[in-house]
Amino acid sequence: MNEHLSAATLNALVDGQLASEELRAAKGHLDCCSSCTSEALEYALLKNSVSRNGQRYSVPAEFEMKMRSLIANASVLPAIRSGTVQRGDAPRRAAFAGWAVAAAMLLAVGGVVVLEQHMRHSEVATTQSASLASEILDQHVATLANSQPPQVVSSDRHTVKPWFQGRIPFSFNLPEALPQDTKLDGANLVYLDGRPAAQLLYSIGKHRVSVFVEERTGTEILSKTLREREGYHLVSFNMGALDAIAISDVDPAKLAELVRVIEQVQNGSR
Amino acid sequence: MQKVDVKPSTFEELALPLLPALYNVARWLTRSGNDAEDLVQETFVKALAGFTGFEQGTNFKAWIFRILRNTYLTSRSGLAARRTVALEDELDDRGDVSLLDGAIDRQTPELNLLRLADQAAVAEAMEKLPPPLLEVVLMCDVEEMKYKEIAAVLEVPIGTVMSRIARARAYLRRLLEEDQRQPKGWNA
Repeated sequence: MNEHLSAATLNALVDGQLASEELRAAKGHLDCCSSCTSEALEYALLKNSVSRNGQRYSVPAEFEMKMRSLIANASVLPAIRSGTVQRGDAPRRAAFAGWAVAAAMLLAVGGVVVLEQHMRHSEVATTQSASLASEILDQHVATLANSQPPQVVSSDRHTVKPWFQGRIPFSFNLPEALPQDTKLDGANLVYLDGRPAAQLLYSIGKHRVSVFVEERTGTEILSKTLREREGYHLVSFNMGALDAIAISDVDPAKLAELVRVIEQVQNGSR
Repeated sequence: MQKVDVKPSTFEELALPLLPALYNVARWLTRSGNDAEDLVQETFVKALAGFTGFEQGTNFKAWIFRILRNTYLTSRSGLAARRTVALEDELDDRGDVSLLDGAIDRQTPELNLLRLADQAAVAEAMEKLPPPLLEVVLMCDVEEMKYKEIAAVLEVPIGTVMSRIARARAYLRRLLEEDQRQPKGWNA
């Protein structure tokens, strides 16, 4: 019996890549060699299996749109649109066109990438912001509905502030002088997005106010579109290393006044 | 080269139909969706910039796959793959690849046939293939490119393509045999 077919020949056979003479010789061998025939069949099955498994990934729709946009932007350039191939009679123009295309491409792609990143960041920030606003609204409404007193009941800031020692990983100041009709009712330890926060409870007249204080996360606290939710006003403000959000259905001007004094005492300007 | 008189084509007409294939190969090679998108995007940018130099009538698919591959090789994951995998492309006197010795089991074709029908095992074995071997089977078996086209993409002689394909399939078979020896499934 002839020597067995080599692995390279068997693979070329199943890939249909043997020249006619090589193919004739290989077929002649297979006619009398069951071992190589089995081998060839196995390679064919493997090829078929790899072919099926290999088509695993499909292009994400967003990415396809992005590539279409990329090409469309670049295609305003005549050379790319027409596929015109530059010839040797105008080498300078060709070189210039090449650089122009490259520069335009860099600008176009740079713009697309920057815009894309900006949009992604904006989307993430908006989602986080909306989620936080919902959580705060839920907490505030739950506090209003709760018949139980706050975890610490006191109008004395020197009682409320120390109560948080060891309960939250930060400290904060509370204003001594409050706007007219405003008083401190107490506070709760709450969790916002899994992070510990202080919920300060105030009353302005008969309206209740919650002021949530947490460590700064570095992202925008509340976007402009989230300052009104379900009839409640939300005001976010920054206090150095802390973020704060006040929520109430009181007159926005009165809420803003309370926010201002809290902000001032925390930032040391009062 | 034979002159082919074709109507000038736009980049969109040529490249967009290949986007799924380019993404699929990029996804296999990088093993990450984000990296695959970056790789294909960079490929398109380079191809667009160089399209004026592309000769109409020549093989656009081989041209853009070569750009993809070269871009991948200069990427972080591509450089890592090149550092960790040594390719021996020489065939021996019989046309076999020396590393294939022992990988071919001519005694158990029935078992091998059954094993090759296990799609999950094949997919798992493909994931373990080193990128230089994976790319050649993807081009050959998935993209159904001819050896000549693959040689153009890899910028190597056809003989090297042949040995690399043989090596890749031998590697797959060895992985499948190892999988078969695990005490599970119908072979347990």
